[in-house]
Amino acid sequence: MRAALIGLVALSACTGDVDEQWQLDHDRIIAVRATPPGILPGETSVLDGLYGSKGGRPVELAPQLAAVVSPERFQTALRRESGQWIVTAPDAAALAGARVELGLAADAPVPLQIGVSYADQTLLGVKTVYLGVSRQNPVLEDMLIDGAAPPQAEIVVPQLTDVPLSVKADEADIVNWLTSCGTMHDFDLPQAYLRVEKEDPQEGDLAVVLRKADGGIAWRVWPIRVQ
Amino acid sequence: MKLLHRTAVTLAMLGAGSALAQPQPEQPAPDQPATPAATVRVFGRVIDALGRPVRNATIRIEGQPDAKPIRTGRDGTFSIDAPIGATLVVEQKAFGVGLATVTGASVDDIVLLTESQLGETIEIDSEAPAVAPGAAQLDRKELQRIPGTGGDIVKALTAMPGVVNLQIPLGYSGVVIRGSSPQDSKVLIDDFEVPVLFHNVGFRAVTPAETIQSLDYIPGGFDVGYGRASSGIVSLTTRPGDEKRSAQAEISVIDGGLLAQGSIGAKTRYMAALRRSTIDFVLPSIIPDSVDLSLTTVPRYWDEQLRIDHEINKKWNLTISNVGTDDIFELYATKDEDAATKRFFNRTRFARLTAAARYKDGPWNAKLALSGLLQQFVFEAGLYQRIEVITPMVTPRADFTHTSEKAGGLTNVQWRFGGELQAGRAAVDIALPIEQREGETMAAYDPKDVSTKFNGNIWIADFTSWGSVSANLDRRIRGTVGVRTDYYGRGEELVVQPRGELKVQLTKPWQLRLAAGAYSRPPQYQSEFLQEGVQAEKSKQVIFGGQYEPRDGARVQASVYYTDRTDLITHNMDNSLGNNGRGTTTGAELLATYRGGPWFAWLSYSYSHSTRVDAPGAERRLFSFDQPHSANAAVSWQKGRWQLGGRFQLYSGLPYTPVMGSVFDNDRNLYIPLYADVNSERAPIHHQLDLRIDYSWKWGPTALTAFLDVQNVYLNESVVTYFYSYDFSQRIAFKSLPLIPSIGIRGVL
Repeated sequence: MRAALIGLVALSACTGDVDEQWQLDHDRIIAVRATPPGILPGETSVLDGLYGSKGGRPVELAPQLAAVVSPERFQTALRRESGQWIVTAPDAAALAGARVELGLAADAPVPLQIGVSYADQTLLGVKTVYLGVSRQNPVLEDMLIDGAAPPQAEIVVPQLTDVPLSVKADEADIVNWLTSCGTMHDFDLPQAYLRVEKEDPQEGDLAVVLRKADGGIAWRVWPIRVQ
Repeated sequence: MKLLHRTAVTLAMLGAGSALAQPQPEQPAPDQPATPAATVRVFGRVIDALGRPVRNATIRIEGQPDAKPIRTGRDGTFSIDAPIGATLVVEQKAFGVGLATVTGASVDDIVLLTESQLGETIEIDSEAPAVAPGAAQLDRKELQRIPGTGGDIVKALTAMPGVVNLQIPLGYSGVVIRGSSPQDSKVLIDDFEVPVLFHNVGFRAVTPAETIQSLDYIPGGFDVGYGRASSGIVSLTTRPGDEKRSAQAEISVIDGGLLAQGSIGAKTRYMAALRRSTIDFVLPSIIPDSVDLSLTTVPRYWDEQLRIDHEINKKWNLTISNVGTDDIFELYATKDEDAATKRFFNRTRFARLTAAARYKDGPWNAKLALSGLLQQFVFEAGLYQRIEVITPMVTPRADFTHTSEKAGGLTNVQWRFGGELQAGRAAVDIALPIEQREGETMAAYDPKDVSTKFNGNIWIADFTSWGSVSANLDRRIRGTVGVRTDYYGRGEELVVQPRGELKVQLTKPWQLRLAAGAYSRPPQYQSEFLQEGVQAEKSKQVIFGGQYEPRDGARVQASVYYTDRTDLITHNMDNSLGNNGRGTTTGAELLATYRGGPWFAWLSYSYSHSTRVDAPGAERRLFSFDQPHSANAAVSWQKGRWQLGGRFQLYSGLPYTPVMGSVFDNDRNLYIPLYADVNSERAPIHHQLDLRIDYSWKWGPTALTAFLDVQNVYLNESVVTYFYSYDFSQRIAFKSLPLIPSIGIRGVL
């Protein structure tokens, strides 16, 4: 722990030359979504993701490849159909067997971990779909950008001004504000702020991603430019 | 614990000088013609009333005024060719004259007394010479003369051969000896362990050099009196107060301190010191506004040292010493001070109070000590992760020595035995991720990960006993054999550790030493003490060394060593801890020192190769602190008001484990790194030059010294290691620190 403290100090001194976690202008899987994130036997869930690339705009995209990582017995629960990756929850007996195998309680959801890849398998990720339980993705609520509800289309912000951003979230939720225009502050808090300096890119995208502890996820992306 | 031996001398004060009453050789009868006495090479040592070596004292043979006198070395030792029965006359300007009679190849320690000590009859204890091959000792003034250290003990340690040179100190002790792990070596202050050696801010030692009398560095092969370490020992002795009352103050950009010392009556001396960081006064002003940081408690530290020495009577002396520190900070990695998820808090503090009584009477010598330690460590990160450990501990210790002139056909036979109990209770509240152990790759940072949870009390009861015997096997050969047994209560384990040493004085300048033994360190770090049944880590060491002293003040010592480590504590497959690791270290060390006139020079080089296997069948890999080459060359020159010094360092970079890629864990919103083989790459060699200038002058009754200590004057920026971006797709080199000036002023009133 003491070494970790020192590492914290050292790390804080030299993070300027790599992309920050809020930077959208970067090759990455921003988020992977299962719709819905929890399904009962026989129900289906569709996988897609928010993919970002350097020099490009974030796009919603199905994974190029996907495969069940665990439990191995549910390899056939995932199939590709019409360009989409679809998960079908096995029947109750199969789920009961999986619970025994994983040491779960009799009524516990069974986590189905799915590996996904983008960009010719250079970007890898995992997403969990919960089987045997019905869950829904959240809805982004009470969002405010510069004190007002976000527009449907483009966001315009002033230069050299702290622009407050906020979204409703519970304490256990994970919130990420991301941008390719300006500098994001407190990107992982529900209340963040954006400031565009003169040397920053003057246009790009702004995104917010909300993750719930139950596997639910929601995001939204806007084009953004400086006034 | 220093190996004490009784000098068995009684001083009788005779007029203006002090004379040493030695057993007199039988005189020939007046009516018999005297036969020419045989000349022998006589070895001895000159010490003061407190047992400290007296350097630069002249030794001459009475009745030979024209013979060139020889001088004692830094450790007070000398050798001279003299006839049996001759009287040695010892002089040093700060003391009265001392006398000794030659009765054989060695004389007992010769004690010089100051004028104020004349008129008394006292008996003196003294410390034994260096306790192991490769060991070294620095006194306070030398610690402060090494450039590039800022006069700090932690940084001075890096000049020692065998100490892994790091840009920043790591681990609990801050010192890694012979390429193993920081936990494997112990740092002692006044014979007892301290939980930390350095402050979080500025990486300064918890005791300023001004409060230290000496630093003993024993990289391995230490005697039975030392233990609970499988590599080496660093032993600091606090400074007894001077007879003359004085006060001093020192301030630099990092910290400032006060020290007062003096005597109360004829038998009591005191030293008290207090220091506080100053860097916290300027830190907030140098952090740019654009940084998302709120320092709600600016990092700062206090430390204090106290020592009282009291002579109870001619047989008993009492020393009470205390060392304490308090470090604290609280920050938010945001400007929003209500964002509890981004809060980091740390408080580390401890106080150790030790009372030690020394007894001496005839052939008996004893040291009885009782030490209490109270420590607290708190760290909180975000909403979920925390650790708080409060540990009160008490350690009684007894050490006895008996010396006989002859026994069983051997001479100068010294028996030693003792015991120690460490008893305490740790109140632990912990909710943290699974720890990262030696060589293990760092897991992705998950602020919600509290895989290691514990809330309760852990009782600690370790018992140690030791015994050894040393004797001269021959005029030039001295042997020591002993055994130390440690019972570690938490693991219910008894560890028996036999140790021995053979020392051969070849000719005057040459000495050879061979030491071998078994060592152990208990499971007491990180989460080791949370789990019952974890056994101690063990090592077996063999060290062969030679020492050459071509002239007074000059010494060259070299050693080669082999260390075999077993029962290394590693994670099992289920993340529990087991003793499945083993490893070896081989190496060689060289240390050359010169102390003469205005010069102080230091040259050290160490080679080391340290590897380990974490579990049966696993691949052998480098220790994370394996540093094959480390060299230091330092020189300091003092004349008049000026003192100038320079130090060049060159050392290998440390191994590291590169990241090959990562997998994005969407639901936890973190990246899981994919690592290459553990410690399969190494940071490049680093070298730097440090300079130091001191200037002293008088300002009224106050003696002032200003110093400028500059590290890395030619701005060599070497890669220390790499830090990766959040998704491990980019990395940034963490380079050696640029030019670091340390400027300060010290005043003594």
